[in-house]
Amino acid sequence: MSGQGVWLRARERLRRFPELLAGCRDQAVAYGRCVAATTTGHAELQKDVCRKEFEALKQCFMQAAKTTMK
Amino acid sequence: MSAAALLRGPGSLLLRASSGCWCRRFWAASGKTAPAASPGSGARSPFDRQLKRKQKNWAALQPEPAKYDYLREEVGGRVADRVFDITRTFPLALDVGCGSGYIAQYLNKETVEKLFQVDMAENALKNTMETEIPTVSVVADEEFLPFKEDTFDLVVSSLRFVLIISLKFNIHQVLKPDGVFIGAMFGGETLYELRCSLQLAELEREGGFSPHVSPFTDVTDLGHLLGRAGFNTLTVDTDEIQVNYPGMFEIMEDLKGMGESNCSWNRKPILHRETMLAAAAIYQEMYGSNDGSVPATFEIYYMIGWKFQESQARPAQRGSATVSFGDLAKINALISRKK
Repeated sequence: MSGQGVWLRARERLRRFPELLAGCRDQAVAYGRCVAATTTGHAELQKDVCRKEFEALKQCFMQAAKTTMK
Repeated sequence: MSAAALLRGPGSLLLRASSGCWCRRFWAASGKTAPAASPGSGARSPFDRQLKRKQKNWAALQPEPAKYDYLREEVGGRVADRVFDITRTFPLALDVGCGSGYIAQYLNKETVEKLFQVDMAENALKNTMETEIPTVSVVADEEFLPFKEDTFDLVVSSLRFVLIISLKFNIHQVLKPDGVFIGAMFGGETLYELRCSLQLAELEREGGFSPHVSPFTDVTDLGHLLGRAGFNTLTVDTDEIQVNYPGMFEIMEDLKGMGESNCSWNRKPILHRETMLAAAAIYQEMYGSNDGSVPATFEIYYMIGWKFQESQARPAQRGSATVSFGDLAKINALISRKK
């Protein structure tokens, strides 16, 4: 990757993350609970254990990103 | 949280005040990892100091760098308190890793007559804050202080990782006999919420994890390190500052603004956006409070060490006590009897 423009654009996108995340509170809570549950119970945390919840969060997130795009 | 306990960093003898990653420019962390596990004299630093210098310079050039100063100001004030606790006037003092002079702004001319401020990032020195003490600012590598031995009556340092490496060969050397060193650094619990959230997210999303938060020294190791560096009469105490943020991304942004991004050799250069998103959700759920804010913990160790001189008070020999602790209640009688 070359040029400063890439970094600036990437940072700009990242700066919007908090507000987009705020719009997906339910999905975030569901995902967080799923992961937190694995730390206490007998289930071990492995890859994709909470994949369903994460996909839901990601969908919501990308939807929010599309609708608020300039 | 058993998984979180397992995931707590090795708590080894490395130290550094640092923080979450977020891809700054990645200077290819060339395979020279080997985080030095021992603080011995030949140990190579586990941190990329060139990168740290660039990060500090970058942070100092941002618009409104003072916005990120809140933590350093607080710790600088507490270090200055400890300087005041020592009822002496120090003719010549040194501040290693001064930043914009967080400690100096709280000190006064009666306590410190002249102050040298050293920092490796020249841009940070351009933002120095006002202080009534005559000051000289020096841009120098904190590991190679350009001063003669036995120069300073007081050396202070606040939240600089290079401290431990420097302690023996530099700070102890430039101190005069009966000089004192007062330092503050980040402790093992610092940013544990961030560390755990990132680790859990990476495990769940990617199947493995790598360190994104630098390892910190254990408080027990600190005493040994200071002792081996040659300091006497050590005092170490710990403090915890908890700062609340709206969310994980704001924490990472503030850490970057403070110039505290990760710079250890074994850092992973990339943090995927999905992992960050997952970590933010986990952070919120595991540590968030009712109003939606999340806390970030900064554990600070304060250390005071003295350079040996004949006239210093020394701990008495074991078994030479003349009164017992059990007589503490009768202390008034004991004192008047002695008179």
